[in-house]
Amino acid sequence: MISNRSLLCFASPLFFLLALSCNKPEQTSDKASPSGKQIILAMMPKSKGNAYFISCKKGADAAAKELGVKLLWDGPTDPDPARQNEIVETWITRGVDVIAVAVENREGISTALRKARAKGIKVITWDSDALPDARDFLINQATPEGIGFTLMDEAARALGGKGEFAIITASLTAANMNEWQKYIEQRRAEKYPDIKMAALRPCDDMKDKAFAEATAILNSNPDVKLLMAICSPAVPGASEAVKQSGRKDVKVVGLGLPNDNKRYVREDIAPSVILWNTENLGYLSVHAAVAVAKGELRPGATSFKAGRLGELEIKGDNVLLGKPFVFNKENIEQFNF
Amino acid sequence: MAGERPGDLNKVKNRVKRKNLFQFEFLLLFVLGLEILIFSKTGTNFATQGNMLEVLRQSTEIGLLAVVMTPIILTGGIDLSVGSMLGLSAVLFGKMWRDMGMSPALAALSTLLLGAAGGGLNALLITRLKLPSLIVTLGSFSLFRGLAEALTRGVDNFTSFPQRFLFLGQGYLLNVVPAQLPLFALIALAVWLLVHKTTFGRSFRAIGFSPEGAHYAGIPVEKRLTLAYTLSGIISALAALIYVARVGQAKADAGTGYELLAITAVVLGGASIFGGTGTVHGTLLGVFVLAVLKIGLTLSDQPSELAGILTGGLLLVVLAGEALAKRISAGRIHANPKPCVPRTAET
Repeated sequence: MISNRSLLCFASPLFFLLALSCNKPEQTSDKASPSGKQIILAMMPKSKGNAYFISCKKGADAAAKELGVKLLWDGPTDPDPARQNEIVETWITRGVDVIAVAVENREGISTALRKARAKGIKVITWDSDALPDARDFLINQATPEGIGFTLMDEAARALGGKGEFAIITASLTAANMNEWQKYIEQRRAEKYPDIKMAALRPCDDMKDKAFAEATAILNSNPDVKLLMAICSPAVPGASEAVKQSGRKDVKVVGLGLPNDNKRYVREDIAPSVILWNTENLGYLSVHAAVAVAKGELRPGATSFKAGRLGELEIKGDNVLLGKPFVFNKENIEQFNF
Repeated sequence: MAGERPGDLNKVKNRVKRKNLFQFEFLLLFVLGLEILIFSKTGTNFATQGNMLEVLRQSTEIGLLAVVMTPIILTGGIDLSVGSMLGLSAVLFGKMWRDMGMSPALAALSTLLLGAAGGGLNALLITRLKLPSLIVTLGSFSLFRGLAEALTRGVDNFTSFPQRFLFLGQGYLLNVVPAQLPLFALIALAVWLLVHKTTFGRSFRAIGFSPEGAHYAGIPVEKRLTLAYTLSGIISALAALIYVARVGQAKADAGTGYELLAITAVVLGGASIFGGTGTVHGTLLGVFVLAVLKIGLTLSDQPSELAGILTGGLLLVVLAGEALAKRISAGRIHANPKPCVPRTAET
């Protein structure tokens, strides 16, 4: 009765034990470069297939080449929320010098990041943050102040310094949108007294609703010459409404992705779309990660020199990418995300 | 140990099966060994004690799901709801602990009971209404995940569990052995004993070969099926607890896609999806082969999407190898004057 079968089931764990016992843990990780050990940077996007992150990787690759570090770029390809943790845990086993993560699951990933820090691996986050005690720095691509001021500046430019505009937001309660509006209003009051905000409408983060709201605004407020769309589905929604209304005197500016809005930018309905430069975000993240690994960038620093980006401000533990990037007719074709 | 009641026929059948399985699991063991050998060369810190234990740690949830999936697949059934059950259990556990003020232990116990109820619901529909398990669990696959999302409106995230609970998923016994491993080993052993050393296991296989035949042979088919699906529910809930403790959060999307990973491991482990053949140790080997592949690739600095390609490739190669081996041994049996080759549902 006791056969090959039972023999086998004892053999399989034994196989593992065998592999355990005959190999002593070794920590020597990589071939040393002439100037010492090459720094290994493990960097994770939220998801690998997303064009936004593919664009970030371009900048990251450039920075890694510039600094002569080994860049491991990996992240989830499937919708498994624990996958980021698993990859981080494997990087801990592998032994890397620094880990930079664009966080998908704030609380969940922090568990793994804390473990990495306990093992002496430096950790930063980029694009979106983990819990503050799980990393040294966040590479912050945009501050509310930067977004609010740039939106207002672009709006003023499109309006020629005076006139009425309306804002389409995601919802009246969204904390980040309200924060941006505060800075939009502050900038308007300080610099553009001849401009007036005529309406504020929510679009529930939906393109269709934004289209309907924009049409309603155009009909009820004929003096409104500019729609400011501050959530990303609202930019194409509002632009489409303007296009279909046939009014050439109304423009749209907003916060959105280049690919969503390319055709409206081309047709001059939306003269400028604002976001950050994703390549620079990847570039800065690598520079900051390497500096943290080398001990050149420590908590408490107030500024940081990041290669071609020059001297950048650090606010608390946030390394700021700087002012948002303005996509317009001249440059939008170069971007694909 | 049960007597081999239907006599010679069964004996021959078992002998045939054993021979095939022996060869097949040897093949898997060889694949696992090959993987370990290759990754030891290409991976950084792959062949270390810490990493081997990490492989086991990361396989625990999928491993648990796959182990309890084995008896179900033996009966010719399938349970697509295990991943969703994991998500629902995680959310229920979080809710009972945070919103209802239960202690983690009590919340965990209640979660296991609710897991059993979820599995019981599957069993009820399958045995009483005679619906195919594929359809029933496709329904509960959506239902359980939907409930989890409804309970949290898709956004609520339970975190900040007490350290004592998190130890289950993040702690190390004696600073070496991951805390969830003994539990995993215990469950795997228990299911192994159930499937391979009791009459239950024999009846699972009998149902897989022919449900009617099993019924007329006096096997309480409904009871056995109920056992298999309920067990699957409980262990999915247990996997949820380990998952929550490991990741440190309970969200409605926990365990998305785990059902397919578990089924892959079972099939890779040599079980026939039509029922009747398969072993728990084969399933475990399947789980380890997949986990080693995933971790080995990352340690070799290879992109993780390669794991998907290689998993698929490996599955097809191993299954083709199995089919070939079966053919060869079947040929040998035909040469034998004794009759009665059982329907080994390999088609």
